[in-house]
Amino acid sequence: MKLFEYKAFELSDMLRDGKISSAELTKSVLDRIDEVEPKIDAYLTLCGESAMESAKQVDKKRMRGEELSRLAGIPIGVKDNISTKGIRTTCASRMLEGYIPVFNATVVDKLIKSDAVITGKLNMDEFAMGSSTETSYFKPTRNPFDTDCVPGGSSGGSAAAVASGEAVLALGSDTGGSIRQPASMCGVVGLKPTYGAVSRYGLVAFASSLDQIGPFGRCVKDVALLYDCISGYDRMDATSKNTQRVPCFDSLTGSARGLKIGIPEEYFAEGVEDSVKNAVMDSVARLRSEGAEVRKISLPSTKYALSAYYIIACAEASSNLARFDGVKYGYRCESPKSLIDMYERTRSEGFGREVKRRIILGTFVLSSGYFDAYYKKAKLLQERIRAEFDSALSEVDVIVTPTSPFEAFKLGDRISDPLAMYSSDICTVTVNIAGLPAVSVPCGYSGSGLPYGMQIIGRRFDEATLLNAALSHESLMGGFASPKL
Amino acid sequence: MGNSLGSDIDIMHIAKLARLKIDEEELERYKSEMTDIIKMVEEMPDIAESLELDADNAMELRKDSLEECGISRDEILKNAPKVVAGCVVVPKTVD
Repeated sequence: MKLFEYKAFELSDMLRDGKISSAELTKSVLDRIDEVEPKIDAYLTLCGESAMESAKQVDKKRMRGEELSRLAGIPIGVKDNISTKGIRTTCASRMLEGYIPVFNATVVDKLIKSDAVITGKLNMDEFAMGSSTETSYFKPTRNPFDTDCVPGGSSGGSAAAVASGEAVLALGSDTGGSIRQPASMCGVVGLKPTYGAVSRYGLVAFASSLDQIGPFGRCVKDVALLYDCISGYDRMDATSKNTQRVPCFDSLTGSARGLKIGIPEEYFAEGVEDSVKNAVMDSVARLRSEGAEVRKISLPSTKYALSAYYIIACAEASSNLARFDGVKYGYRCESPKSLIDMYERTRSEGFGREVKRRIILGTFVLSSGYFDAYYKKAKLLQERIRAEFDSALSEVDVIVTPTSPFEAFKLGDRISDPLAMYSSDICTVTVNIAGLPAVSVPCGYSGSGLPYGMQIIGRRFDEATLLNAALSHESLMGGFASPKL
Repeated sequence: MGNSLGSDIDIMHIAKLARLKIDEEELERYKSEMTDIIKMVEEMPDIAESLELDADNAMELRKDSLEECGISRDEILKNAPKVVAGCVVVPKTVD
C-alpha cells in the first residue's frame, strides 16, 4: 500500500510515531497527481513546490519535538472558491482567471495554523453553480470510478481528488448539495456543516444564507478530523455562531445502539431510482439490527423545496455577483466605450451560461411586481420546511435519505437541460434551506460499478451525533473502496 | 397553470437590470429555459402566513469601529484591471 492510499487519521499516527515523514507522504501524493491527473483533471492550480516546502517545515518542527496538531503534515486540497493568499483563486470562472487574493479565508488560516500541507486549488462548477463540474470555464473533472462520467458538483474537483488519491483530504462548499452530491458520486464522505458552524470569511459568496464550507475524506473519522479543525466562531463572519461545541473526532464511538432514525417517505418517491432507495434501505436495516430504532416520518413540503431553493439561491447570487463589474478586480472587456458598456460586456464575456441564467432568474424574482409572488413565497416555504425538520428532529436523532437520486451520469448528458441538472439536488437542497448539518456516506455500488451515497441529516450544531451515526453505518457497510485507475 | 406570471417575462429588460448583454440568438434559448424554470417554481403553494425574523439565526454584529486590516493599498490594487497613480481607472463617466 502506498502512502497516498492511507486515511488521514492513520497517517496522523504514522507521522506522530516517526514511521513516515510529511515530505515522504507529500511526495507520494504529488507523484499520484502526476500519474492520474491527466485522466481526472481535479486541480486548477497545483502547489507542488510550496507543498513540499511546507512538508519539510513540519518535519523540522516534529524533529524539534514541538507539539503538533493531528492534521500536521497531511496533504489537503482546497476548492477554488476559497481564498488563498498569493495562490490564484478563480471560482472556475473566466471572470477571476488571474485573480490572486491578498488574504486567506479563515478556514485556510486554520489549516496553515494546524501545519496542514496545501496541495493546490480544486476544480468546481463556475461560482459553484452546477451539479457536475461541467460548467467550469477551464475544464470538466472526471469521475475516478468511470472517467466517462461526471464527479458530481459543484465541488467535483474536491471529491474526485480525494477518491483518486490526489489529496488525502479536501475542502469544498455546499449551497444546495455541492459537497454531499459529489461525495456520493465519487464514493467518499462529505459533510455539510450546520449553517454558522464554519466561517464563510474568504469563501466567494454564491448564496450567503445557504453557503457553508465543509470537509471531504475517505472515511468518517477523517471528515471529523478536518471538521474539528475548521469549525468554530469567527468574528469576521457575522453569521458565525458562538456556541459550545463538542470535538467530533474524540467523541466517535461507532455504536448505533439506541439511535433513533427517521425515514421520510417523500425522499423515497418518484424521481429517485429504485436501486438507490434499496441501497439506502439495506443500510437502514443493518443499523436496525445493530440496535437503532427506525420510524417513518413525513416532511410534506419537500416537493416544493427545489423551487424555493432556486428562487432564494438565485436571488442572492444576482446580488452577490453584482460586484464583478471589471472595476476593482477580475476580468475587464477590451476597449470599453463607456462605463455601462464596460459593465455589460465584462459581465457577458466573463460569466458562463449557467451563471448568467441564474443571475437573470434572480434578478427576475427580485424585480418589481414579481417579488411577492416568487421571493416572498419562497422565504415562507423556507420557514415551513425548517419547522417540519425541527418537529421531526424533536422525535428522532437523525434522518436518513438518499444523497443523489441517481448514480453519476455521463459527461454531456444533462448539461443542456437545466431542469434535468437541477433534479440532481432534490434530496439535498432542503438541508441548506433549513440550515441543518448533513453528511453523505458511501452506500454500495450500481451494476456498472458507480458509487451510491446515503445522506444522514442531524440537528443544528450536533455534528457529533450525525458523524457517529455515519461511522456506525460505515463500520457495517465497509466504506470507501479505491477506484481502479 | 392558467395565467402564468412568468409567461410574459421580458428577458431583455431583466438582462439590462442585471447589466448583461444577450444577443438575439441567445434570447430564444434563454426564453424557453426561463419559461421551464418559472413553470417549476410556480407550483409552489400559496401560504397565508407572514414572514417572521428567525431569532435562532440572528447575526451577531460587531462594533462599527475602524481597524487595521494589514493589507496595503498597493496590494489591494494589484488585482485591479487598470490603475494609474494609485487609483482605479474606469471609462469617462462625465463629458
